Formats: sequence, structure tokens, C-alpha cells
Amino acid sequence: MALRSAVLRYIRVPVQTLTATESKPQPQWSLRASLRLFSSHDVHLTKEEVIDRVLDVVKSFPKVDPSQVTPNVHFQKDLGLDSLDNVEIVMALEEEFKLEIPDKEADKIDACNLAIEYIYNHPMAG
Amino acid sequence: MAASGVAAPTRAEVLQLYRSLLRVARQFCDYNVREYTKRRTIDAFRDKKNLTDPSQLFAAFSDGKAQLEVAKRQAIVYSLYAPKVKSIMDIKPS
Repeated sequence: MALRSAVLRYIRVPVQTLTATESKPQPQWSLRASLRLFSSHDVHLTKEEVIDRVLDVVKSFPKVDPSQVTPNVHFQKDLGLDSLDNVEIVMALEEEFKLEIPDKEADKIDACNLAIEYIYNHPMAG
Repeated sequence: MAASGVAAPTRAEVLQLYRSLLRVARQFCDYNVREYTKRRTIDAFRDKKNLTDPSQLFAAFSDGKAQLEVAKRQAIVYSLYAPKVKSIMDIKPS
């Protein structure tokens, strides 16, 4: 634990403060999910995989026309579903990725891209 | 008949009840009961989707809450006596 915090303190991320006058192109370096020290959960889903699986779940929903499904489609506006269907789709996504999405977050998931973002950023997605 | 002072459930409460019922359905270990609970919830909510009368909405909502309690208890009871052999529908093809 102490070693980890010591190493993290040593690796400092350069803070990017670009004001209107200066615009030095700084090298992009970020401590993203690629560098996770001592993490036992190293098998993280790629965005491709998340997108594919989310689209599969949405396409296999009986009321949905599969040809209309794109990664940006809105469930109620584009696919003509209602809020009950929305809840069902979120439940189906929970089952596919073995997640428990709390109610407040689940209410916000209205469209495919929101679902993909949420699942991709969830550490326990499997 | 004037509506008494019962408060009709809000949209958010209805959706929350829907989600709770679907979640409790997942807890059943018996495939048949699990699928029945899901089907019954979906059918009941769709039937009553267009109700507008506050007293009817309140009655349907409290009915749903009572069923949720029943389902929660039954999920626990079923798990106490879970059969050792899983239903064929639960076995994923390898």
C-alpha cells in the first residue's frame, strides 16, 4: 500500500493549463486504465467489445427493429419504445454484463451511447 | 364519486416498482417461477399503462407493492428448498 502510493506520487501527471495566449503543444500522457498498479482486475473490456455486446442486447429485444440500431440510437425517440421498455433494456444489459446498476444511474440511461459509456467506465463489467 | 385524498403514485415510483419486481424475479432459483414473475409483471404494467383515475392508479400501485412483498418472501422460501437438479432451460449450451 505504501509502495503503491509512493510510486504514484513519483509519477506525476503534467497538468495541462492552456490559456488563450499560450498554446504549447504538450505531449499527451495520462494515467489511464492502461496503468493500474497492483490491480487484480486486469481483464478490462475493450470499447469494441462493449459496443458489440450492447448492440446485440438491444437488437435482440423483441420490440426493436434490428436494422435501426446504431451506437447512437435513442431508445424512446428513435426506436419508439416507452419507459417500461427502457427499464427492461437496462435490466437486460445488467444481465449481459453481470452488473448491478443503481436506480438513479439506470434512469439516466436513455440511449445506446449512454449505455456504452456507462458500461465501459464501470470497473466490474464482465 | 369524488376521489378521496389518496395520492396517486408518481411516474418515478411506478418505474421503481417495475424495476424492483423485475429484480426480485431474477432472485428465484426456479426457472419457471422466474419467467412467470417477469411475464406477469410486464403484462400487468402494460395493461394498466393508460390508467388516469387517481384512485385506480393508487389501487393498482398498492396491489403491485403487495405482490412485491409476496415475491420477496417467496424468493427466500424457494431458495431454502432449491432442487439440486437445475432446469434444462438454465443450462447453457457449451
